[in-house]
Amino acid sequence: MPKLTEAESNNAIADRLPAMTPMGQPLDWAWLRGAPSEWGVRPKPSARGLTMSDIAIGTYGEVPEQAQRRSMAGRGSTVEGDAPDMGYILNKKSDVWSDNVRELYEEAVARQWSATRDIPWNELPELPSDIEHAVCQVFTTLAEIEMIAADLPAKWMWRMNHDYLEAKMFLCTQIMDEARHTEVFRKRALSNGGGLLYSRSSGESLLRSILEAKTYTQATALLHLLGEGFILDIFRMGELIAPSHVEKKIFRMAMQDEARHVAYGTMHLRYAVENDPDVAEEIHEALDHGELLLTTFGTNADFGSALAYLLGGGEEHIEDKGFPLQMEMQRHQFTSYLSRCERAGISRLERTKLPLDLLGIDVSKIRGTSATAA
Amino acid sequence: MSTFDVTNIKLYEDLASHMNHQSEHFRILGDADMTMVFAVQTPDKTLHFQLVFSELRCDAVDLVPADEAHMADFSLVGSVESWSDMFDDIYANGGASGPWTINSLALRGDRISCEGNDPMGLDKFSRFNQTLQDFLDGAGRLDLIRSQP
Ligand SMILES: [Fe+2]
Ligand SMILES: [Fe+2]
Repeated sequence: MPKLTEAESNNAIADRLPAMTPMGQPLDWAWLRGAPSEWGVRPKPSARGLTMSDIAIGTYGEVPEQAQRRSMAGRGSTVEGDAPDMGYILNKKSDVWSDNVRELYEEAVARQWSATRDIPWNELPELPSDIEHAVCQVFTTLAEIEMIAADLPAKWMWRMNHDYLEAKMFLCTQIMDEARHTEVFRKRALSNGGGLLYSRSSGESLLRSILEAKTYTQATALLHLLGEGFILDIFRMGELIAPSHVEKKIFRMAMQDEARHVAYGTMHLRYAVENDPDVAEEIHEALDHGELLLTTFGTNADFGSALAYLLGGGEEHIEDKGFPLQMEMQRHQFTSYLSRCERAGISRLERTKLPLDLLGIDVSKIRGTSATAA
Repeated sequence: MSTFDVTNIKLYEDLASHMNHQSEHFRILGDADMTMVFAVQTPDKTLHFQLVFSELRCDAVDLVPADEAHMADFSLVGSVESWSDMFDDIYANGGASGPWTINSLALRGDRISCEGNDPMGLDKFSRFNQTLQDFLDGAGRLDLIRSQP
């Protein structure tokens, strides 16, 4: 007897299966008979396991420039019938994509950490009261602003077409990261005999304008590139403001996560501008406004003064060390930000209203994506 | 006199070997993928030791010419004295103490700076910073490794 092909064998099984459920409902065995979607792919796991890049093969790896459907059907599946419109408004690849998004998703999954377990909480030293107050003010503000970077992706994710699921998956990791940042900063504020201190309005106006951005690309420019770039540099500076190795570790671990968020934003904006040059003006407009608000936030009375106090190591050196280091820090922050803008293909050098001379920024180092981290 | 010869590739090879025997420790931090350079400035030339990190390992250590070093994600540049002082601090304390972490040093930039042509490459210094620090902290244990047969 000739051997049946795989399709013939499955069809034969389907033919033998009942046509009705025991309750009298019709049964459909179409999935067993096969579908027009691609069958028989066999992605090879790489050394680290089976990654999202490994399974982006054949038609499954083809991310459409313009999504054809508005349903949650998985990219590459066979879609039949009318699914309800899920209300997606980000239906172009350039709306959400970045070329590093799969890599960043895998990195995020691999580099998750625990604020409960991985920080040596019982090694926190007793600090002088003034320093503990400054530490608590810094962490009060940080714990307050972290969640904007979860709320903002959450606001837009359900509007993103499901064909761009890798971008949505990466944003899920960002939301988890921000939960952990809120957690670790709140824990630090409460863990050493201090507590939460002031929240005042100047920080909140920046948060609100990020949340209220009219398009996702404007929102990502304000959040991932401007806001999180700024916060990334604050975490880097954690080495200088942290009074003990415990806070240093908190900042270093959070810094790693933050750099991923910035990497997504920078490369998303680049992809957006390359594929739809018209969005450049929209991004510039958002950044014109965002830079102004960020400058206000940087001089936030509570956060700014607490930072300067810690940078100076206390009262005695706040003027000869604290404030000069804070100026130095701002130079770092704006230099990194302007360099990332260059990399994203939205040069701000001719347009920004930031006082570059006053900040001591060397524009020649930034132009054409050339930059130094320190 | 420093405990370490920072101009000798063997130091970086030993650190890589140490990392590659500690996969359980580095697994907690997660995969790290980057190509970076330790640029060690001697009075007459700069030595570029290029390290390739992949997943939980440091897979390659090479002395490369300057024009190749520029292709790395980032370079950490410092004098022989600065690198020696950093490694001596790690050795003395079993890990970098406050001002001697690589992030502190690169942040101040006066003794060791982090350089590169691409902000995305430079940001990998931040993305994988704890892995890099733990890699360097391996110098605190190198006497044990070197004394092994
Ligand atoms: Fe965060
Ligand atoms: Fe973030």
